[in-house]
Amino acid sequence: MKLGATATRAGRRFISSLPALFGVVVFTFLLMRVLPGDPAVFFASGPQAGPEEIAMIRKQMGLDKPVPQQLLLYLGDLSQGNLGRSLTTGQPVLADLRNRLPASLELTLTALLIALLTAVPLGIAAALRPGSAVDHLVRFICALGVCVPTFVSGLLLIYVFYYLLGLAPDPTGRIDIFLSQPPRITGFLLIDFALAGDWEGWSAAARQLVLPALTMALFVVAPLARMTRASMLASLGSDFIRTAKSLGLSSRKIIVTYALRNAILPVLTIAGIVFSTMLGANVLVEKVFSWPGVASYALDALLSSDYAPVQGFVLLMAAIFVFVNLTVDVLYGIADPRVSVE
Amino acid sequence: MTFHRTALLSLFLASAALPALAQTRAETLRHVTGASINTLDPNMPGSTREAFGLSLLTYDRLVSFGRKQLDGNWVFDLDTIRGELAERFDVSPDGLKITFHLRKDAKFHDGTPVTAEDVKWSMDRAVTARSLAAGQLLTGSITKADQFRIVDTHTVELTLPQPDKLALPNLATVYPVIFNSRLAKSKATAEDPWAQEWLKANTAGSGAYIIESFKAGETTILRRNEDWKRGPGNSQAHFKRIITQTIPEASTRANLVERGDADIVIDLQAVDAADLERKGKLKVISTPQYNAITFVSFNNQMPPFDKVGVRRAIAAALPYEDMFKAALFERGKRLYGATWADGKAPTGDTFPIVQPLKTNLAEAKRLLTEAGFPDGFSTTFSFNVGQAGTAEPMAALLKESLEKIGIKVDIQKLPDAQMSTLINEKKVPFFTEGIVAWLPSMDYFYRNFYIGPIRWNYSSLNDPKLTELAQAARFEGDKAKYAAYGLQLNTMHYELMPQIPLWQPSQDAVMAPSIEGYTYQFHRQIDFRDLSRK
Repeated sequence: MKLGATATRAGRRFISSLPALFGVVVFTFLLMRVLPGDPAVFFASGPQAGPEEIAMIRKQMGLDKPVPQQLLLYLGDLSQGNLGRSLTTGQPVLADLRNRLPASLELTLTALLIALLTAVPLGIAAALRPGSAVDHLVRFICALGVCVPTFVSGLLLIYVFYYLLGLAPDPTGRIDIFLSQPPRITGFLLIDFALAGDWEGWSAAARQLVLPALTMALFVVAPLARMTRASMLASLGSDFIRTAKSLGLSSRKIIVTYALRNAILPVLTIAGIVFSTMLGANVLVEKVFSWPGVASYALDALLSSDYAPVQGFVLLMAAIFVFVNLTVDVLYGIADPRVSVE
Repeated sequence: MTFHRTALLSLFLASAALPALAQTRAETLRHVTGASINTLDPNMPGSTREAFGLSLLTYDRLVSFGRKQLDGNWVFDLDTIRGELAERFDVSPDGLKITFHLRKDAKFHDGTPVTAEDVKWSMDRAVTARSLAAGQLLTGSITKADQFRIVDTHTVELTLPQPDKLALPNLATVYPVIFNSRLAKSKATAEDPWAQEWLKANTAGSGAYIIESFKAGETTILRRNEDWKRGPGNSQAHFKRIITQTIPEASTRANLVERGDADIVIDLQAVDAADLERKGKLKVISTPQYNAITFVSFNNQMPPFDKVGVRRAIAAALPYEDMFKAALFERGKRLYGATWADGKAPTGDTFPIVQPLKTNLAEAKRLLTEAGFPDGFSTTFSFNVGQAGTAEPMAALLKESLEKIGIKVDIQKLPDAQMSTLINEKKVPFFTEGIVAWLPSMDYFYRNFYIGPIRWNYSSLNDPKLTELAQAARFEGDKAKYAAYGLQLNTMHYELMPQIPLWQPSQDAVMAPSIEGYTYQFHRQIDFRDLSRK
């Protein structure tokens, strides 16, 4: 019954987000064409790079047609699941994204997990003793994490753990180049290695993942911890906690069962937003660690005005955003049954 | 159940592969680079430099460049051409016919023998198909399919409309590669008679290396073609395996090679290369790119840069030495600071030559006043984001120095695609850019970089006399007369100052001390066939 209601609500939410997705497609399409920079000229690099070669590339990219017609053709291709071809990599965009998305997702999810496992206990600890030394320490850690840009912390971690200490593997992507890849099932190396039962490969992949995930986690611990602290404070100060205390319940039960469950809603919201942002904005981390993810792919394409990959990337991000929002909605329902009533 | 079996199988395979890999580490070369390969066919419009580098390994050409020593470093030599797929070649006395005798033992990767048929098809493709090759080959008077004639199974003849010094060198560049015509034809379609779509993602060559795995923008793994013995003196390539990895962060590349995890890298920042050279643990071969030039360029059609006085004033005001130190850490060859006795160029055999340019602000101020700008003017100075590492410090010094003679400069940093569009449309007044010539002969530079409305004519120069001299030099067979043309051209270049040659940046190849044989190549990539490990 309750599950059915959640599903209906999720379905309705999903349908209402379709116009937004369409808008994103059209907007990105037009935006790319308004931006200064002609991809045909950029890719025309022959010694004669004259008008003919430029016209040839323009035709190859379909840019010789009027923009409205280009848009219709693009929408037609989209409906058949064709996102076009990238000139930067020479591959179909869909294949590129399919290859690279698991890398980005694996990194972002690991980073988010590390961040949540650190931020929530830190936030609770700070909320339990507001104004104490613990609270100040948490505040200090958060400030430090948020004010050091990810590429600085990334390079610093590489310098210390790879260059100086030699503890970390070389920061060159998802797995040591001399190891063989697992058979591709999900694209998530940790899962694929586990499915293949290759634990040596699994630990190699995990070792590659630690530094970039830590770098990203450092950056997002602050919003999560601060949000946990604030909503825990509000929750701890409310009447039902006072009642629970007066009834003599164990402090564990009061904090975890009553206070935390009520305080977790805003944290979930923030976690959803943080996740989407991380996925799109982790370009610096991907660049520093040579991580073959979607964000660095899109940046390279953007710098060379390669339209198809940028449009494909934005559409993918929009779709993920919609999906994450749906998930957060569903999680609301589980964390706080009152939300589902509506 | 099936799943279980696959899992066991892959576990078995993985464990079996490991010792083999460990053994071959010494026979494997690991190369790291910041850029990526975007096609397996170098002829595709938009091919990256790394794609050119790869094609040199997977395909053979009829001929290839020899090498020579230049200031103690090995560099490619435009004047020595040796056979690659051709065992030998003869040039007729009148220079109009070149006959190529193919190696009889050469085979494509799939085992089919290389025949004159394949050469003919590949050359027809080069001049006919809509690709990059046609534009390059016409600089060597190779424009039509009927110029190539099959004499017999292993002999092909090329007929030229006039003797052309650059015909043979053109055949050694990356475009006229020899395809397995039978394989390629089987993949051709009615709309795509030259199998261009298929060859973007597949190879059909006879080169020294076979692609084992290729992930665009990540890694390329090559395996040695054991049958290939077409190096200098019929030698084989040394390394059994070559791994090229894309590592976008320059400092990470430096770390990798310093720690010995990577064997060679050629695209480090100048500061990292200087640092590694000082530490002395690695071999650093720093070769000034003698076929490349960095310019400060003006649009000669746009006021106020249409006045030669303004251009010369700026040339006298640039802080050359400071710019060279700040941008390149002195890693390169200076193209300023010479003394020309009578204001005439001392040599005409080559371009570029060191210019008699020095920083002289009083002289600059005088020239500017004479040109009608006693109070100076305002302008913008542009460079692209991709060059920011060297261009940014340079632009700041330029701005500071020009301010002293009254020219106010606004620095513009543009995304690469935008910069190339604006340059192509001739809309940038004052900027810095670089050029590279695969075939660095004097007339080739003048013809390709100073004539016509093309993108590479940065200065938009349109000077009938210079055009005439450059065209005349092209087909001049007599060395002394050629040099006389060059003398006039080089002197004109200094007098007109269409753009200011600054320097030739070095290519810093940083490698493990055990790597030998590195040669600076025309396409500014590593030709892995040159390398060995001692």
